[in-house]
Parts: sequence; structure tokens; C-alpha cells
Amino acid sequence: MTDRDDEGRKTARIAPWALLGPGMIFLFFFFFLPLYTLLRMSLSSSESRFSDPSFTWEWANYTEAFSQFGEQFFRSFLYAGAATLAALVIAYPLAYVIAFRGGRWKNLMLGLVVVPFFTNFLIRTLAWKTILGNEGVVVSVLRTVGFLAENEGLLRRPIAVIGGLTYNFLPFMVLPIYVALEKIDPRLVDASRDLYTNTWGAFRRVVFPLSLPGVFAGSLLVFIPAAGDFVNSYYLGSTQTTMIGNVVQNQFLVQVDYPVAAALSFVFMAIVLAIVTIYARSLGTEDLI
Amino acid sequence: MTERRPPRRSASRPFPPMGAMTSGPLTRRRFLERAGLALGAVAFGPALLAACGSDDDSSSGGSGGSGGGGGSNDIAISNWTSYMDKPQLKVFAQATGISVDYREDINDNNEYFAKIRPNLSKDQSIDTDGFVLTDWMASRIINTLEWAQPLDEAKFPNKANMSPALANPAFDPGRRYSAPWASGATGIAYNISTTGKEIRSIDDYLSAPGTKTALSEMRDTMGLFMLSAGADPTTPSYAAAGPAFDKLQKAVDDGEITQFTGNEYVGDLGNGDIAAAIAWSGDVAQITVDNPDVRFVIPDEGGMLWSDNFMIPYTSEKAAEATEFINFFYDPANAAELMAFIQYISPVVGVADQLRTIGGEAAELADNPLVVPTEEFLAGLTIFGSLDDEEEVKFDTRFAEISGSG
Repeated sequence: MTDRDDEGRKTARIAPWALLGPGMIFLFFFFFLPLYTLLRMSLSSSESRFSDPSFTWEWANYTEAFSQFGEQFFRSFLYAGAATLAALVIAYPLAYVIAFRGGRWKNLMLGLVVVPFFTNFLIRTLAWKTILGNEGVVVSVLRTVGFLAENEGLLRRPIAVIGGLTYNFLPFMVLPIYVALEKIDPRLVDASRDLYTNTWGAFRRVVFPLSLPGVFAGSLLVFIPAAGDFVNSYYLGSTQTTMIGNVVQNQFLVQVDYPVAAALSFVFMAIVLAIVTIYARSLGTEDLI
Repeated sequence: MTERRPPRRSASRPFPPMGAMTSGPLTRRRFLERAGLALGAVAFGPALLAACGSDDDSSSGGSGGSGGGGGSNDIAISNWTSYMDKPQLKVFAQATGISVDYREDINDNNEYFAKIRPNLSKDQSIDTDGFVLTDWMASRIINTLEWAQPLDEAKFPNKANMSPALANPAFDPGRRYSAPWASGATGIAYNISTTGKEIRSIDDYLSAPGTKTALSEMRDTMGLFMLSAGADPTTPSYAAAGPAFDKLQKAVDDGEITQFTGNEYVGDLGNGDIAAAIAWSGDVAQITVDNPDVRFVIPDEGGMLWSDNFMIPYTSEKAAEATEFINFFYDPANAAELMAFIQYISPVVGVADQLRTIGGEAAELADNPLVVPTEEFLAGLTIFGSLDDEEEVKFDTRFAEISGSG
């Protein structure tokens, strides 16, 4: 296969590699190399707390990560799943309205989705402490209505953490869904109506399936960072709502146990990968994208 | 004793750029603390915000020098947020000809340690000629890792003004390697309108109605619980701390303590979201002025006393200049000016008199036991003793388990 082709053909074979080059180099230095270091660290052990860990095939780090922190792993994925679902429920109608009913306000509405996120991530999270606080409007309304007992609040409960996650990652759900919906040719909907489906049917059989790539992308963009987040749990939650991010933070900064922190990160990545694969298969996303 | 700073000044810190936010947990955490402070300050109204104004004017102080290895006479100092009355840096520069690249990049002992560890463990400079860390971390730096170099005694004549109570800590006898920058107490802060009763002990605190928080800084929370359980934190051992840990565990399991925090409790205490918190004196010294419902008490069983200590890393080539820096702040007049601003306990003898000389609000501070402690106040305070590596790991692990992150 080597020398047979004319000049043009050769260039055609080199060009893709040349184009991939910068990306590959970047990936190598900023993804594979760190990943390798992390893997090595996760299998290392140190003689004492402050001696540098050395590579010893220390599988015990993984057993420790699994056995000791199962609860926090479970909670992370539960909260992230709930937040993803909540974000989807909020984001889909919003994106739908912007894409199909936005008209000349489209850009403005998209802007409004993003503008609050110009504010610092922490300030936004901490603002929820005020909003959900016992002296805040939300709690007093819920108490009046009877959803909350007099001495009950919202802060430091799972719902506050899930709410915070949903809020903080919402734009990452809205934007991909919007892009997917925006691309849909309205004539397809017209065509389905011509074929005697009703509005709901047109949505269910035409619009929604075509927007699935957006839903898929949005779900990943919300789920993955939400599962690894520790800020929302730290500020809005309690000792009963700690997530895996809080554990990693503690292992790394307080306990100075880098190997276990690395093992936790690896286990986390493996679980995310598994969940994403299952999700992609169940949506049939390979065909869609 | 990690995340404490007076809230009012911190509120004025400009927030770091968004880009930094996304760079992961390590950097994120420090913003959390700042943001918490900011929110707290906002909750406490215009008086605090007004106080912030003056801070910003000088926030970019310093020479802009490269620090560490930089210019001829420049030094770089790392300190906690809101631990400096910035105009004093100019006075220092005029007096000594040494310009200071002053950085407020310490928000947490553990976090700062994680930041300097990679370089110092490999004999690489950290571009800093002085940093300020809490007792136990100072012990780790000076003794366990030997990362501090001696202060230049010849350049430290004002060492004579050091409070005798602080002159001979177990981790640095004779203060060869360190000098306290400021001290504070750990006790219980509570909002009387929520608790409905005065609090005098850890048991009172646990039985008070409403949400209660403890400090994520292990030595502060455990110190109070050990005293409450009859163990002595001055000579801590994991075995002796057992009952105290059990007590804390039970409080968490029963839902009495719902959160372990840095000083974000400040805002929540004021607005009544938190009924009581294990708290740092300096934080509370300031809230009480605006909100008399918030009170601070050293429990009857005792409270904790801690100091933050100035040290020079072994990699610095400016030990003499860095020592001149700490010497400057051991002059009682300068120390008084500093304390009038940061409102913690000064390690320098004679500060109270100087505060009265300054007059006005500063003079009032001279009578505030949280700033100028009385003998009686100090008698109720204990210093958490040092833990060896093995014991420290046990303490940290159990504490993390109880607080839900271990």
C-alpha cells in the first residue's frame, strides 16, 4: 500500500494525522500522562504520612475506597441522577419555548439563561443558603401551607443539595437541548401533521427523538460534574449528605493520603464511564450522533 | 483554627476570577471560605460593608516584586486573609527600605500545606520568605519536616516584647523558628433569640434547640469535646480522646450537630439559621457589635487557645529581611495598630496601653476580653498539644468519619 499512490493520495493520508496532531499531543500531555500518574499514585503507598508515596501495587487503596466510602459513592450518583432528571424537566420545556416560540426574543432569552452564571459559582450557591434559610420566604411559605412543620427547614437536607446541583448545572442542560431543537426542520412537524398525527404525536414521534442528542449531551454535562461536586453538599448539606467529592477533598487535603484520594478518583471515573455507557446504549445514542 | 478571619475584612476581598473556579477542588475550596465570609458580611448589614471600603484602597499594596528571589531588598510574605492593616506595609517599607510583596494566600492550614509541600519536599523555592500557620501546622513544619529556618535573632530586638505566655511553646522552645502573629480563642457562639437560654457548656450547646454546627478544624472541635468529656487536650492521645469522639459521634448521629464548617457560621448565626456554633473569638468579637443577640462564651469546662505563627521557609535567602518584618510588628505601637484592625489577640506585651493611646474605637478594644484578654479569660483556655504522625492520622480519620467525609 505504501508507494503505490500518487501525490494527492499520499497527502490525503498524511493530512488527517497532521490535523489530529495538536489534539493528540494535547491529549497526551494533559490527559493520558496525568491519568497515568494518577493510576500510579492510586497503587502507591507511603511509609509515613509525609514521605513521598512509592509505587507498590497497593491494591488495598482500592478495597479501602470501595469498602469505606460506598455510602458516599451511592449518594453522589443518586443526587447527581436526581439533579439531572430535575434539570431535564426544567430545561426541556424552556429550551422548547426558546427554540420554537422565541421569535425575535430568542437571543435575549438564551442570554437570560446564561446571565446569572456570570456571577461567581460560590456566590450563587451561597445565595441558596439565604433563599432556603429558616428566615427565608420559601420556608415560611412552605410552613404556612403545611408542607413543612414549624421546626422543619430545607437547608442541610438532601433536597437542598439536589436543588443546588440542579440550579448550578441547569444551563448545561438548556443549551445542548436548545441547539438540538433549533436544528429541527419545522417542515418535519408539518409533514407529520399531514400524516394525521396530533400535536402530542408530532412531539413524541418527531421532535423528541430528533432532540435526543441534545438530551444526551445535556445529561452528561450535568450528571458528571454534579456527581463529582462537593461545594453544594458542603454548603447546603449536612454530615448526612456528604458526597464523594467531599471525601476526596478530605483525603487529599486533610488526611494527606494521596494514594487513597487517587484510588477514589479512579473508582469514580470507572463508575461514571459505566453509567454513561449504559445510558448511551439505552438511548441508542451512537445511531443518533 | 483553620478558616478563621474576621468577616468584615474578608467581605471586601475581591473574588477570584471565574477561570480559577473551574480549576478543581484545591482552588475551589478557598473561594468557598471567602464567599461564606462575604455572605456573612452582607447579612450583617451596611456597617460591615462600610468597613470594607478602606481595605480595598490598599488591597493591591506591595511592591509587585517577584518575591523570594526577586529584587534586591524585596521580600514576599504569605498570610491569612484580613490579617494585615495594609498601610502599615508602606510604613515598614519607609522605615527599613524593604518592600513587601504581601499575599493573602492562606485560607486553610491543610490547603496551604498541600500547596507548598511539592516544592519544599524537593528543595525547591516557594517564592515566599515568610508564612503564617497555626500551632499544630507550625509544629509539623518546624519539627516533623524541618522546613523552617531560624529567625535572625540579631534582627529581632523586639522579641523581648513577646508575651511570656507564648514564648516557650512545646513545638518551638525559645521561639527560635517562629513568632506568633496573632492568637484567638475557640468557644461557643450562640444566638440567644434562637436558643432561648444562655449556654455555659458543651452539654448546654448540644441540648439547645435549633441547628448546631461545629468547626471542621479538628483540634478546635475535639479540644472542646475532650474538655467536656474530661480528657486533657494539652497532652492528647487517641485512647484518651475515645469518650470525646463517642460524644461527638452521638451528637452527629442524633442530628444535634448537622454541619462542620469554616467560619461560614458567622452569617447563619446572625440571621438565626444556626442556633449555636463552635466558633472563633475574632469572628464573634465583630458580630456581637451589630447583633447583641449573638454571644460568645468560653465553656465552663474550658476553651481552646491557638496562635498563628510566622515562620521562614528554609528555601528563603532573605531570612534577615523577613525577620525585620516580624520585628516591625513586635513594636507595641505597630502591634496595637495591627490589632485595632484585625481584632485578634496580640502576642505583644503593651498593646492594650497603645490601644488606649490611639483612642476612639481602638481604646474600646482595649477593654474587650476577646482582643485584650484578661487573666481570668486566659485561665479558661487550653492549648491543644502536639500529636505524633501516627496519632494524628487516627484523630483525623475518626474525625472525618464522624463529619461524614471519611
